[in-house]
Amino acid sequence: MGRIIVANRRGHQVVDWSTTDTDEARKTIQEAERILEEARSAGCAVSKKVDGVHLLDHGKFDPAAEEYQIIAPIAGG
Amino acid sequence: MTPSFWRRLLGAFRPDGNAAWSRPSPYLDEPPADGDDARLELPWRHSWEHLPKRTAGFGFTRRDYRAARNRAEEVARLTLGEDLWRRLGRDGHLDLPSRRFPGVTYRLRVGLRIEVLTAPGVDPPWRHSFLCINPTYPLPELEFFAQLYLYVRDQEDEVIRVAAPQPWDQPLGRTF
Repeated sequence: MGRIIVANRRGHQVVDWSTTDTDEARKTIQEAERILEEARSAGCAVSKKVDGVHLLDHGKFDPAAEEYQIIAPIAGG
Repeated sequence: MTPSFWRRLLGAFRPDGNAAWSRPSPYLDEPPADGDDARLELPWRHSWEHLPKRTAGFGFTRRDYRAARNRAEEVARLTLGEDLWRRLGRDGHLDLPSRRFPGVTYRLRVGLRIEVLTAPGVDPPWRHSFLCINPTYPLPELEFFAQLYLYVRDQEDEVIRVAAPQPWDQPLGRTF
């Protein structure tokens, strides 16, 4: 079971995926991957929790990951 | 009929066949109505330019702000980890040394511009000592603080690219 933390004006909301071997679980993985790709293509950064620490990550979606966060794009001024 | 009723009804006939109310995290083509915090909001899909500074949206209530800030604190703590979280509570800021500019330290404060500190004898990389950097969509300030920490630590080049140096300090406009 993994999750994406989507930071937004609500504070954050969570998208979960499951790694059990079922069609429903595979759909949750596809949806999580799609959301990360969409966020990246919109200029967001993504962090991945590795050994208990969040690091900005440029790799492909890893269903075995514990947690991702979508990080807002930044702008000056 | 309320707007949310019509939104749900129309969602039932989406091409993917998934009724909006049957999914745990339905998506919207526009930001959810204020107070409708059960729906997943993907903020990069929307334009936020119309919002007044330091606000989250028209009709956001005090309760909404309080709930958002509480959630933000939870995630900021999780993002930073316990050591940094304690240090932030103790010092009121977090310092990160630059990897690009020797002798330069970024001082991150919640809801404020980054302060650029230089060691004695080091020329500052910018003419002004405050860097104004905002998220492109509204976020609680603690949440953005933790995100900015990740940027400065892991992706300093992006911070350098977008930073707007300013001669004075002031609260960020896109956080609340």
